Amino acid sequence: MMSLPRRLATSLLGHVRSHITSATCGTSSAGKSASVLWSCRTLSLAPGVSSCPSLVASLRTSAAQLGSASYQDVQPDYEVVAETENKITADVVSQVNRSIADRSTGRLFAVVHINGKQFKVTDGDLVVVQGQWPPALGQQLRLEKVLLVGSADFTLLGRPVLDRGMAAVEATVIEKSLSHTKTIFRKKKRKNYRRINFCRMPLTTLRINSVRLEKTVDQS
Amino acid sequence: MVFLTSPAWIRAAKPDKFWRRRRTFRLSAHYFGRARNCYKTAIIRVEKALSYALVGRQQKKKDMVQLWEQRLEAGCAEHGTSLPVLRQGLMRCNVLLNRKTLADLAIWEPRTFKVRGSQLAME
Repeated sequence: MMSLPRRLATSLLGHVRSHITSATCGTSSAGKSASVLWSCRTLSLAPGVSSCPSLVASLRTSAAQLGSASYQDVQPDYEVVAETENKITADVVSQVNRSIADRSTGRLFAVVHINGKQFKVTDGDLVVVQGQWPPALGQQLRLEKVLLVGSADFTLLGRPVLDRGMAAVEATVIEKSLSHTKTIFRKKKRKNYRRINFCRMPLTTLRINSVRLEKTVDQS
Repeated sequence: MVFLTSPAWIRAAKPDKFWRRRRTFRLSAHYFGRARNCYKTAIIRVEKALSYALVGRQQKKKDMVQLWEQRLEAGCAEHGTSLPVLRQGLMRCNVLLNRKTLADLAIWEPRTFKVRGSQLAME
């Protein structure tokens, strides 16, 4: 197992966030973030984020640039992140990248969005999807909406989803069936109103074949 | 003159009383006392039970949401924060994990959840 140094989560999250939401206002102060660190496991990824050093520049984006008069007086409550923090960020990224490249991440889990619901899955899991869902029996699927991939040492977090092609969550449809019959009975007293309907939900059972990481962090 | 409407007035005969009642009795088979075998009592109890089942199915969804929130609050308390702060932080970061998933992470992936806490605190 790769072991990352503790207390390294740093303001990497802050960096990436500011980069993405530079039109709004990224806030992260070095002191503040250092005080709240517990572990180094999370690395937040946004689609399209390519390099870390450029993130500092985006931090300078001021709230005043929003164009609204009421925002003019707002003082930015961020500071330019110290060089050491940049280095820590780069360290974390490189260690994560190395373990992805070496395939030494161990078993991964992922949170995938299927048919309006989120499921935490790992290799070999069975997932039952309720409701109408087009995939047919026996189809091999690649689940594209991956919100989060985690291993023993790090977690990659999508904002809101990971880059396409970054995580490969493959699944097979192994069953299309119906649920048990639900009786929907409605009655109003003394109103001569009585309805009875029967309902069976379509169910799709998926076998998760594999959860893999196919690209390294920040690789476009 | 041909009466076209009259055949429409003739209704199909109802099935035997036994078969009509059997449907209800099958649902009341496991009840206690006269509700099991007396039709008059059984039909009241069965209808009430079916109505409750409908309410219960709707309630179950709300109960689950409550359960997830309770678990998340406990998870947040472990890291010295609160659920509204967590939700707010995740929202600002554009992380759209739902309560169910977050509760799962809090229980089964504590290290992942821990850093969620640090992330929100940076907001």
